[in-house]
Amino acid sequence: MFKRTDDKITSAQAAIFLTNTVLGAGILTLPRGVTDVVRTPDAWLSLLLGGVIVMLVLLIMVKLSQQFPGHTVYQYSRRIVGTVPGAFLSLLLIVYFIIIAGFEIRVLAEVAMFFLLEGTPIWAIVIPFVWTGAYLLFGGINTIARVYQIIFPISLFVLILCYAFSIKLFELDHLRPVLSEGLVPVLKGLKSTVLVFTGCEVAMTLTAYLQHPKQAVKAMFMGIGIPLVLYLLTIVMVIGGLSLDSVTTSTWPTIDLVRSFEIPGFFFERLEFPLLVIWMMQMFCNFCSFFFNASLGISQVFKLRFHPVVFALIPAIFISVMVPKRINDVFALGDAIGRMGIGLFFLVPVLLSVVLIIRKKGLKQSV
Amino acid sequence: MYSYRKAAHLLLCILIMSQTGCWSSKEIEDLSMYTGLALDKAELSPVEQAMEEKGETYQKRNIVTATVQIVPERPSGSSEKGQSQSQQTPRYLNISETGDSVFETFRQYNIRRDRPIIGHHLKVIVVSAQLVKEWKMRQLMDFILRDNDIRPSCMVFLSEEKASDTLVTKYKNEIPSFHILDMLRNQFRSSKIMKGVSLSELDALMHSRRSFILQNIVKARGEVAFSGAGIIKGETSNWIGKLSQEDVLSIAWITGEVKGGALKAYDKRNQSISYEVKSLKSKIKAEISQGEVVSFHVDIKSEGRLIENWDSEENPSELKYMKEAEEQFEGKLKDMLKSSLEKMQSKYKVEVSGFGDWLSIEKPHIWKKVKDNWDETFSHIPVTFDAKFTITDFGSSTE
Repeated sequence: MFKRTDDKITSAQAAIFLTNTVLGAGILTLPRGVTDVVRTPDAWLSLLLGGVIVMLVLLIMVKLSQQFPGHTVYQYSRRIVGTVPGAFLSLLLIVYFIIIAGFEIRVLAEVAMFFLLEGTPIWAIVIPFVWTGAYLLFGGINTIARVYQIIFPISLFVLILCYAFSIKLFELDHLRPVLSEGLVPVLKGLKSTVLVFTGCEVAMTLTAYLQHPKQAVKAMFMGIGIPLVLYLLTIVMVIGGLSLDSVTTSTWPTIDLVRSFEIPGFFFERLEFPLLVIWMMQMFCNFCSFFFNASLGISQVFKLRFHPVVFALIPAIFISVMVPKRINDVFALGDAIGRMGIGLFFLVPVLLSVVLIIRKKGLKQSV
Repeated sequence: MYSYRKAAHLLLCILIMSQTGCWSSKEIEDLSMYTGLALDKAELSPVEQAMEEKGETYQKRNIVTATVQIVPERPSGSSEKGQSQSQQTPRYLNISETGDSVFETFRQYNIRRDRPIIGHHLKVIVVSAQLVKEWKMRQLMDFILRDNDIRPSCMVFLSEEKASDTLVTKYKNEIPSFHILDMLRNQFRSSKIMKGVSLSELDALMHSRRSFILQNIVKARGEVAFSGAGIIKGETSNWIGKLSQEDVLSIAWITGEVKGGALKAYDKRNQSISYEVKSLKSKIKAEISQGEVVSFHVDIKSEGRLIENWDSEENPSELKYMKEAEEQFEGKLKDMLKSSLEKMQSKYKVEVSGFGDWLSIEKPHIWKKVKDNWDETFSHIPVTFDAKFTITDFGSSTE
């Protein structure tokens, strides 16, 4: 059995791990996704509300995981509901992670092909990322977390820089009126705002690797709080800078915001290129998290060695990247992933928690 | 074992060598950068006409003539001619193609020029008003908004004459598209210059289906000037008419976007007196009864300087005369605003002066009911103005 007792991460590393898992392609598409449904400038309220809901979800996941210190969801699900049902739930989770891993790389490739490398075939963009990701995975969770620690400050800096320069386009009037049509549009928007936090299921494996499992809740809230703030900033800056009408007609609103101004005399006159290049690293991080979790799941469920599993998953990921034919399929897949995430939330942490409570409190069993 | 490692190293080296460079790189010297684009009603250029007579044509309707301004015409280093001759050739090249798809005409340049055109540096688009009268702005801009090279920061203008003429200058060292773009910066000196409308803003304006204005460019004897604005009707996305320089100024006063500039009036002896705007606050109010807007009221407060006085009988530093002058300016402004509004409400029946924006923000419930028919609704709503000027100083001359 594959076991890494020495491979632990600190709470700060765990927070950044979760941040880099959640914060990715959403930055590029979120503003349109939300405003399409909300249709008032209140999209940011939806996001705030969505963030609070996701935090509650996260709390359930972490509390559940804390019952089994040192064990990931793939291991403890078996102990709660039995070997076969547990393996089945784990498999659902694994398939879900493979699909998101493919989705992240696909969005990365779509953006790169449209704005940066027109003419480069998609496989030439995807394969180096998948290979590099596989190489990173071999180092284990600690190595991954350390890479994230290097990448995150850089991508954060570039993102903030872009938003700082876009202030000259910002008009508060674009965000007004607040709640003109009441709370109904805000609640409708919840559907798409919860989606941008997909991937927080990773918390159920991360907790197992914490050096101080007691700090898990704090670390995970930190890890989800950073993306929440950045997503909020994104929505406010993009809608404030472009206005609602422009956001709804734009395929990649955040990139269009950055493309809507030039900074004469600055080192980069156009910030979309640094943003895109850096954001590709961020999406690579997303991909690695999901790739790691899928590989870990398979190795733990089927009791296989980790490295061959990583190799075996490379083609699966590649297929998952290439399945959508059109860009519409990519966006539809993004929505589908969100729905799967909600379904999985009820199937995995909620179901497991309920069964655990019944068995512990009701039947007085020791699990 | 040893030879296996050697082979592996060799393979690695070969792999690394294949990893250098950019897959789809294009040398910038091999591309034609265009900085300006003019869209006109179809009018074949002499070259095109001659080509067409020789049968160089394809299946198309002649609807739009797209003119791109390529800079520099050739890389500066490759000029073999002397200094004196290179000064005579302009630093740009305008090239036109006619067709019924903007994208197709763009690709059509490739059968005439050696270096393909690339839109990364497009700064200015000038659209002929006559073209927008017949074809919808939405149709004409569709490709430009979709393209991945053209940035949404590009500015859009209208011209009542031939738009491609505005991309020509008599000055040898000037590039017309840059010239037009840089003129936008003068907004702080004259509010007859509108805040430039970029492609991303145009996209929003067209999507909102409300009427809007775009700065109009006139061209005479090799020079260009911003003059007034063209109105694009929201429902049809067509050009319907022109606003004068004063109208543009009036709109800036109503929306409070005046950053500086002059306001000239005549005093009681019919002599010119000028007011330099230092600050401006404009407030729109609406009287509402039973969920409908009965009337609008605009309250304008401004502080400024009496900067020019042709009336030698008067002393501008005297408080009494200052008060008098204030009244003259207030009257002048109100007259200007009234006549501009009259033009919008009666002649064109459009609302492009910010009342809709205000209503949508302050009274979203009422706005929801009227927004589909806003132009028509607004033309029946009376608007009153109130102006309060304060002359804070009289410059560096006391008499």
